[in-house]
Amino acid sequence: MILVLHLLYRMYRFITWSTFWIKRRFTIAGQAMIGGLIVALFTGLDAESAVGYQAFMPLFVLMGVSLLFGFGFKTGFRVERHLPRVATAGQPITYRISVKNLTRKNQLGLTLMEDLVDPRPTFKQWKAYKLDEDKHVRPFRFDRRNFRSPFKMANVKETNVPRLNPQQENDLSIELKPLRRGVVNFTGITFARPDPMGIYRALRKQCLPQSLLVLPKRYAIPPIALPGSMKYQQGGVAMASNIGQSEEFVSLRDYRRGDPPRHIHWRSWARIGKPIVKEFEDEFFVRHALVLDTFTTRPHSEAFEEAVSVAASFACTVLTQESLLDLLFVGSEAFCFTSGRGIAHADQMLEILASVQPANGHEFELLEHLVMNHAGTVSGCICVMLDWDETRKRFIEKLRSYGLPVLVLVIRTLGDKRPLDPGPMADAPDQFLALEVGRIEEQLARLK
Amino acid sequence: MKPPPLLLGVTLLFWGWQSDLLLPGALMTVVLESAHVFKTRWDFSDDDFTKTWSFCSLVLLAAVVYSFTNNDGPSSFTNMFEDLSLSAHRSASTASARTAAQVIRWLPMIFFPFLVAQTFSTRESIPLATISLILQRRWKKAKSLGLPSPISRGFSIVYPYFCATLLAASFHPSDDNSFFWGFCVLLTWVLWTQRSHRFAVAVWFGVLAVAVAIGFFGQRGASQAQAYLTNKLNSQWFANLIRRSENPYQSRTSMGIVGKLKLSDRIVIRLQPNKPKNIPAYLREASYRLYRDQTWFGGSPREDFISTTEEQPTGSGNWTLLTGKSVISSISIACYLEDYDKGAPSGLLPLPIGTTRLEKLTAYTVEHNKTGSVRVTGPGFLMFDALIGPGAAIDSPPSSRTNFNFARGSRFYEDMGIGYFEGHKGEGGGFGFGGRGDGEGRRGFGGRREGEGRRNFEDRNSGSSTNDPKFIPLVSHDELAVPAAECPALDLVIEDLGLRGRTNDALKVLQDFFATRFKYSMWQSTPRDMNAHQTPLSRFLLTTRSGHCEYFATATVLLLRRLGIPTRYATGYAVHEESGSGYVVRLSDAHAWTLVWDEAHKQWFDFETTPSSWIEVEKSSHSPLRWLKDAWGRFVFEFSKIRNGQSNIRQYLLWIILPGMAMLLYQIAFRRGRKRRRDKKNDAVFLEIWPGLDSDFYQLEKMISARGVMRGSAEPLNLWLQRVEKFPGMSSLQEPLRALIRLHYRHRFDPQGLNAIDRESLKAETRRCLELLARTDS
Repeated sequence: MILVLHLLYRMYRFITWSTFWIKRRFTIAGQAMIGGLIVALFTGLDAESAVGYQAFMPLFVLMGVSLLFGFGFKTGFRVERHLPRVATAGQPITYRISVKNLTRKNQLGLTLMEDLVDPRPTFKQWKAYKLDEDKHVRPFRFDRRNFRSPFKMANVKETNVPRLNPQQENDLSIELKPLRRGVVNFTGITFARPDPMGIYRALRKQCLPQSLLVLPKRYAIPPIALPGSMKYQQGGVAMASNIGQSEEFVSLRDYRRGDPPRHIHWRSWARIGKPIVKEFEDEFFVRHALVLDTFTTRPHSEAFEEAVSVAASFACTVLTQESLLDLLFVGSEAFCFTSGRGIAHADQMLEILASVQPANGHEFELLEHLVMNHAGTVSGCICVMLDWDETRKRFIEKLRSYGLPVLVLVIRTLGDKRPLDPGPMADAPDQFLALEVGRIEEQLARLK
Repeated sequence: MKPPPLLLGVTLLFWGWQSDLLLPGALMTVVLESAHVFKTRWDFSDDDFTKTWSFCSLVLLAAVVYSFTNNDGPSSFTNMFEDLSLSAHRSASTASARTAAQVIRWLPMIFFPFLVAQTFSTRESIPLATISLILQRRWKKAKSLGLPSPISRGFSIVYPYFCATLLAASFHPSDDNSFFWGFCVLLTWVLWTQRSHRFAVAVWFGVLAVAVAIGFFGQRGASQAQAYLTNKLNSQWFANLIRRSENPYQSRTSMGIVGKLKLSDRIVIRLQPNKPKNIPAYLREASYRLYRDQTWFGGSPREDFISTTEEQPTGSGNWTLLTGKSVISSISIACYLEDYDKGAPSGLLPLPIGTTRLEKLTAYTVEHNKTGSVRVTGPGFLMFDALIGPGAAIDSPPSSRTNFNFARGSRFYEDMGIGYFEGHKGEGGGFGFGGRGDGEGRRGFGGRREGEGRRNFEDRNSGSSTNDPKFIPLVSHDELAVPAAECPALDLVIEDLGLRGRTNDALKVLQDFFATRFKYSMWQSTPRDMNAHQTPLSRFLLTTRSGHCEYFATATVLLLRRLGIPTRYATGYAVHEESGSGYVVRLSDAHAWTLVWDEAHKQWFDFETTPSSWIEVEKSSHSPLRWLKDAWGRFVFEFSKIRNGQSNIRQYLLWIILPGMAMLLYQIAFRRGRKRRRDKKNDAVFLEIWPGLDSDFYQLEKMISARGVMRGSAEPLNLWLQRVEKFPGMSSLQEPLRALIRLHYRHRFDPQGLNAIDRESLKAETRRCLELLARTDS
């Protein structure tokens, strides 16, 4: 079995490479000519009943002559790419590339192509994806299969370079469509020059490494009243996000039994001879935990991406409401990021979400422990779940047993109409929402 | 990407010229290029394009079916699955190739409606989902889930159509270079629009000239090389591989082969007697005169076949084999032609002895020879009436002895196509048989020919020669010739039965002899004490006394000849299995029997000595799933009837397809109107369910608009009201209108809507405003 998979993987690599090569090297007319050559070759096998063989030789010779023009293409350009800092998955962006002709010749009829890092997966990734697809999509249900590569990061359109006189500089507008969140890595750019017939293109690469962060897709969330009340945050806003305590305090008072020794103000004790402790300003504000479930066996599933998008949508929305938000999830390890009230911005939260990966090799209990450790400080929890099984139900039940208000959002596949048992959320149906992939925005609008 | 003007029109003309469809090509060109004159364009929707594509696909399907049936596709493919011979595969592949070629040639016509739809539409590209079934399914699914349709990439059919037209133009046989030059011109035309402006035009022309020049001489060389390979090599390869299933000149028997006789139970012939139970026992395909080395030879040259002329008018299907004979019965026969001769299906007709006339036979040619074989070429499936009468048959009487000279190069045996017999010049050779085997396709054998090589070797060294009078007895008729090697065994049997000199009851004695002392068997075991000089027939007669019909028939023929009675060896089918009101004949019913010359009545009659148990023995080997095969055979038979015009359904087919096509066209042409009507209906529903559209405020809006303060199509109400207040005489409405509009907005846009009190208030306020307005008017 593994040998067959290896063979299929090699075939996949070969086919994707040859497709990429043909698309890069040949113009549309050239690609049609390759097709014509193949057809002429086959129809030429029966010369008695078809004259297709007569088309073979002129096409073949044209192709051969065009290939000769693939040699001897030299360029001299100075290129600068002006990328935006971030982009959003699925939202096309336009950026500039400045090109300066450093040669003494006029340059015209050229095409500029962006070079991205080879998006083809490793054998392990490919195998996991294929096996998962075969498991979930029945054979011959082609309409259910995803023919687009789940590993490709972005589509960049080829752009024609306008005529450049010697030493002339010009700006090109490049259109890029990020296909998924993550980082789009550019390795360089390639100039293509078609042969006189417009069939085959000579290529010249130029190194220009750069990267672009693609944030997850976000949905508009209505202004909602998140569950939970304000909670005392010792040390104020600054302390809410830092370990340890600030030296700043508002007053001094006598020591009372139970005060932590760390709060003793030693200088005052020395001065007046009895223990004096520092009194900090009490601050109460809302602090929410945004719990993202990353425990899935389908890393390339739409449901996982949508879960990240929903989390990103909350990350953007909640921050505007003057509160703190802890993003809790498990990736390669357990993570907790806090933002809000000037500690961090939504952008940083989104950047983290742009890189979230499924929790491979970890148990759900790890997330449970992480959340429970934070349960004492947060006012409420927003849980974005990928499933609604017994483990998750127990987790939510435990959270609620702490007296924490919880908003549960369960991501489901499109068309999944099976009734969802609210379980521990039965007494708070308005805080339990199932979101179907493809109708997330519409269903998020129901939030109150 | 728009094509250069007139390119498609010229391409269509080129296609019409090359494919001998100039008129359709010219008409299509006129329609297409009229788009440059008539600037009217239609706003076709995606659905319209989908319907047009469906129509084209339906026409394509109809074209495939029509072409497939027109090129013997069904019968060829049926044979391919049931008969594993190379010829069956070849005929199937030929049928597919012809179908494909014909359909490809029609492609420009088939997809022309779609091209016209795009040309005369307001769009330059069409969503891919209109032609892609996968995308269409995704669209439907999204629609059913209430989601927006996924974005589909657009495409233009123009250049694919151009390529398809060029491909269609290439599917015709031709010896000239017109296609090459036409192709080059059109290619130049297209490439001109794609040329790189980085290079000078002279370079472009130079490259093109080089390519065309090398291409011209190159394609000539390539075609010559290919013709050489095809004609010189392929024909020789295949000539040795293809085996004919029937041969009127010789029939190689399975005698001497050890192992089990493998017989297919495929139904090959269906019979329908015109009078119930009036069915012949045998259907003969061929009969043979000379026997040697387990092979029967027709003993007549290839030119022996004479053509039978069809009765006027041509196409009547009536062929008279023998004139001046009365007809007493007729039988309807349906069979398949499984050979190919000069590109057309051919074969020997299975006919009852005494057939005098064939009716409703849609054959191209009919020939018969002196041994009673009727060979035809025609469509792969034949259904005809055989008229039978008593008396003379097309079989010639026992012929006078052919110049039976076995010398090397004998003209007679050359004509028979059976090669030379090495041993006649005393070279010590026995029976080195150099001709081609007939490859009896109906029977497959799992065994080997016992001791064949050794016998040939020993014969070659035995010094026996055909010059020896004992080897070939001197007889007056071919029908009395007996190989010398068989004589001892035959004589022993004759002596044993005491038949020497008794010819009057010889037939009865022989029938009893075979019925009582012999056993029918499809299995031949390897003899323990193999005598190299003993022939398989001798062993059958003297030792094993068990075998299949070929043994019995050959032994009977030779025994009777030894007694001086002219006989022939006949092959064909035995008819015994009833099916409905008719009979069916399977491949396993293939049979051999004896034809005996009746000197008194000057005619041949069938004489059977194979024990009647042979039918039961062969039945025992039938598969339990034979019913399934029979059902499939029935389907194939009915389909063949339709396909070959033996059923009336074909003439009604057009009338079935035409209304379907008309309905589809109607859908395409008038669906838009229907959609509009449906949309209006939907709009009504929309109005009903949309909240707030029943607001009384709209009455007021209408009244005010009627007084000259028209509200713009997208003008917000509050802005409009500001204009209203400024209008002379309307200032008194300012306050009530402002109160009213708040209520109206709440009714219109508040998800909670208005409660009953506020709703009433809205009505009352509106009434009040209307009254104020009326008062202002007065």
